[in-house]
Amino acid sequence: MKKITLLGLGIIACIAATAQDFDKNIATARSSYSSGNLQDSRFAMEQVLRDLDMAIGKEILKLLPAKAGALAMVEKEDNVSGTGSYVGLYVNRHYGADPKRASIEIMNNSPLINSLTTILSMPILGGMMRDENQKIVKVQGYKSILNKHVNTETGKTDYELQIPMNNTLLTLKMDDTSEGDITAVANGIQLAKIVQMAQ
Amino acid sequence: MKIKYVCALGVALALGILSSKAQVLNRLKQKVSDKTEQKAGNEIDKLFGGKKKAGTDQSGGNSGANGAGNNGGAGGNNPGNNSGAGLISTPPDVKQNLIDAEAAYKKTSYGEARYAVQQAMLGVELEIGNKILKSLPESVVGLTKDAAADQVTSTGWGWAGLTIQRDYKGAKDKQLNVIVANNSVWMAGVNAYLSSGGYAQQTSGQQNWKQTKVKGYRAIIEFNEGSGYKLSVPIGQSSIIVYEGINFATEPDMMKAAEAIDIDSIKKELGEQ
Repeated sequence: MKKITLLGLGIIACIAATAQDFDKNIATARSSYSSGNLQDSRFAMEQVLRDLDMAIGKEILKLLPAKAGALAMVEKEDNVSGTGSYVGLYVNRHYGADPKRASIEIMNNSPLINSLTTILSMPILGGMMRDENQKIVKVQGYKSILNKHVNTETGKTDYELQIPMNNTLLTLKMDDTSEGDITAVANGIQLAKIVQMAQ
Repeated sequence: MKIKYVCALGVALALGILSSKAQVLNRLKQKVSDKTEQKAGNEIDKLFGGKKKAGTDQSGGNSGANGAGNNGGAGGNNPGNNSGAGLISTPPDVKQNLIDAEAAYKKTSYGEARYAVQQAMLGVELEIGNKILKSLPESVVGLTKDAAADQVTSTGWGWAGLTIQRDYKGAKDKQLNVIVANNSVWMAGVNAYLSSGGYAQQTSGQQNWKQTKVKGYRAIIEFNEGSGYKLSVPIGQSSIIVYEGINFATEPDMMKAAEAIDIDSIKKELGEQ
């Protein structure tokens, strides 16, 4: 109970700090612009974008499931970052512990987006590049790429599911699992809400 | 002997006449063929419910402006646009966007807030770019500015952010393009070369690039037979000025043109240290 209270207080403190930064930076952007100091105004805006990415990231974390199959989330490894620039938003949550782990990663403007979208939108190209460890599946209506990796030493099978949604890429990774399990976890993620928030 | 010449002349004349006859015949054939094709085309248009074309000078395979007035056609028969004043260039209202951003943030509409800040940033970057363009000289070494080519480009993302271009043109296709890029990945490469001494100089053969200095700033000058001179001057932490000199006679000519630009003023405007 104490832990939960402390965690709640921590989150509130983080949000308050972000709000303070936002207010301060937007005030700087406005006053610098009014005084004709365009460079300082621009710099303050970059900071504001960073603050916003952080705020959006924290909201997205709230939407992510607390469990990935049987694996519980590792809250202390939750990671949100905002560069305030092209790459922008990055959210990462881990589940479980070695040797069986899972993770969800959300990234805006990922460099992979273009190549993934090409594979998904051009069946001929997808067909040419197809290997037995990759297939295209649909998750909540989003075309996605499922990659299978068999560890030759342990004989266990790891899966990776990449879901490109406009300019946001969600990647779900699960160790020692099955196609059915990873798809079930993916179906439990609120994709539509996440993509709406991340855009 | 004379008979031989007369015979040769006769043969030449006969061939000439035949050839001109053949040309006339070919032209006639072509005309007939064109008319037949045109008729066939009209019949096909009628067959597929198309209206008769407004112009009768439709040339086969040349889609575009010729088809004006025929809106029913598919594919290559689409009319070409020959009117419209284009888009109105309206830089975003920075102050209003900042107000919108704050309001959206208070409503926890973070996506909207981010969009508004990006718009505000776009507005500020365009203003910075325009100020730099105004600070550039009207003419450089006898070349006058091409006002129509003045360009400020901003993504509003603050990364590859801002690009400003001014072209100077003169006689004999001589041209100087000045490009200022801020937050450019481009300059990271140039800086790496400058700091590591990566550009080794050679003493034999054709020297196509070397390190130099422009107004005290370290730079790289390159020469390419196809594109001319290119001078890259990194300024501050994240900006670069690139000069492209086309049809400049010599390297000193190019350097003289580059010296005409006030780099310190651009650097100050970009907030570089």
